Amino acid sequence: MNHSSLAIPTLSLTVTLIPKHPIRHLPPPILRRNPKLVFPLRVNETPTSLAAKRVVRVSATVDGNEKTGNWVNRLPIPGLGAENVFRLISSATGSPIGQFISSPVTFLHSVDPRIKLVWLLTLVVLPARANIVVRLGLVVCTALLSIFVLPRQVWMDQLARVSLLSGILFITLGLGSDGAPAMLQSRTPPSTITSLPNLPMSLSGYSYMLLKLGPLQFTRKGLSVGSTAACLTFIIFQSASICLATTTPEQLALALRWFLFPLTYIGVPVGEIILTLLLSLRFINLVFDEVRSVALGIVSRRVNWKQLTALETLDIFASFIRRIFKNIFRHAEQISQAMIVRGFKGESSSHKIYFFSGSSNKIADFASVLCLIGVISTALLSEYFLV
Amino acid sequence: MSGQCLLQPSPSRLFPLRSTSTTLSPSVNCRIGVSDYVAVECRNLCFSVSTRQGISVPILRDCSFRIPSGQLWMVLGPNGCGKSTLLKILAGVVNPTSGNVFVEKPKNFVFQNPDHQVVMPTVEADVAFGLGKYHDMSQEEVKSRVIKALDAVGMCDYMQRPIQTLSGGQKQRVAIAGALAESCKVLLLDELTTFLDESDQVKV
Repeated sequence: MNHSSLAIPTLSLTVTLIPKHPIRHLPPPILRRNPKLVFPLRVNETPTSLAAKRVVRVSATVDGNEKTGNWVNRLPIPGLGAENVFRLISSATGSPIGQFISSPVTFLHSVDPRIKLVWLLTLVVLPARANIVVRLGLVVCTALLSIFVLPRQVWMDQLARVSLLSGILFITLGLGSDGAPAMLQSRTPPSTITSLPNLPMSLSGYSYMLLKLGPLQFTRKGLSVGSTAACLTFIIFQSASICLATTTPEQLALALRWFLFPLTYIGVPVGEIILTLLLSLRFINLVFDEVRSVALGIVSRRVNWKQLTALETLDIFASFIRRIFKNIFRHAEQISQAMIVRGFKGESSSHKIYFFSGSSNKIADFASVLCLIGVISTALLSEYFLV
Repeated sequence: MSGQCLLQPSPSRLFPLRSTSTTLSPSVNCRIGVSDYVAVECRNLCFSVSTRQGISVPILRDCSFRIPSGQLWMVLGPNGCGKSTLLKILAGVVNPTSGNVFVEKPKNFVFQNPDHQVVMPTVEADVAFGLGKYHDMSQEEVKSRVIKALDAVGMCDYMQRPIQTLSGGQKQRVAIAGALAESCKVLLLDELTTFLDESDQVKV
């Protein structure tokens, strides 16, 4: 947008322009030769000269002549500059990933975290083994659950990203897994070689090749591989996200400790594993904060990247990474000091970690276990009925 | 002045703010040694660090003072004069080069930056972390202490909130609650009000 078209230079009204990028002296706006402003102008009233809608028609063609032939290639491509990279880093690490959402409280908040872990494990295993119909059904159910449980902004953002990722996987694997020409990996030798008549088409309409896009072909094998990878990715990401959004890290750690407890009899340090997990969950956010703040620090310096050579730009990136590691190690040192001050002696067995798991709702637990049994049964039966 | 300041002339100065105990008579505790009325005592405390070139840089030099129980004292001084280092020595995080230190137990220390203090992912778990050293404490008592401490700093509604969703001031209040939950006899606070707004500073 051209900022000059928004300015009102001849009036005493205070207009504050907030430029998106560096403040610079804007050229005077192009006004009509005789702007007929109605005085006195009242506050919040739009001048008649500015109220008219401006329609600018621009057309261009690539005609291939020597003067304008490659003008498209000379356009600046946003997003590749060093500053944009730092902006992307700061904005990407600023969005919470897999964060517990304490409100609104849904029925999933009151489900026992151990049942949620079993659900997660089931949803990792099932899509890889089940029929494509069951896989798609699980995807739809997971998406509906996300919509039902998560706040609108969260599920819209998450579903869009995961769908995009799954879609890319589906297309690339679907076309790439069996996309080589059939002559190179022929299951049946062509009739020109065997001098036999072509095999008759399947009476039931079966066809190995589902779609042909020029040199690419979409076969049943591609469909199977692509749908498995896409569905698995979608379900794993989204179910983990739902689980993390409705379960506190302490609840997850408590559930994990319950499952790992038998391993203590064979000498596995379960207590240390759980404490490490909790500290990691805390530390991950500190790392994100650190990356964001250092990236923002570089962006706010307004470095003139165009004047820098490639080596100098690389040097700034190296200092960025060096600074992050330095700060992270300092954080780790300070947190270890804080743990010592707060009574931690270095042995997880001598320091009790209190988990406030909250009271789970028995009805919600029972319903979720029933649903789990139903999903597993459906997946097992689909192997026999949906072949 | 209800306490005795034994600091050598140096940039940092120790000031008593007010007595929090009405039964304590500060004038009777001016005896060096472990006394029932002395909460913190340092004598000839020295701390220095070595640079890469091997040069010893003194941070604290011959620092001596005594703080009676039940009082609130404040260390004032310019940046870099060693206030935080002194508190870290009192907290037991840093060992002094020489000198004697006595701090009554149980003690707790709230760091300058709450991100360095808060170690657990959610608010209630972090406040309860310091209570893990008391093995004989029941779960109900821990829960009760956590609720009381969070209530004291006005964070009772944030019990299950992830730490990273809190502002700097809220994290600072969680850090204070973690210290309060232990019912310490000595509370060492390093620039406690740095992240707090005006109303919270007044409350503190």
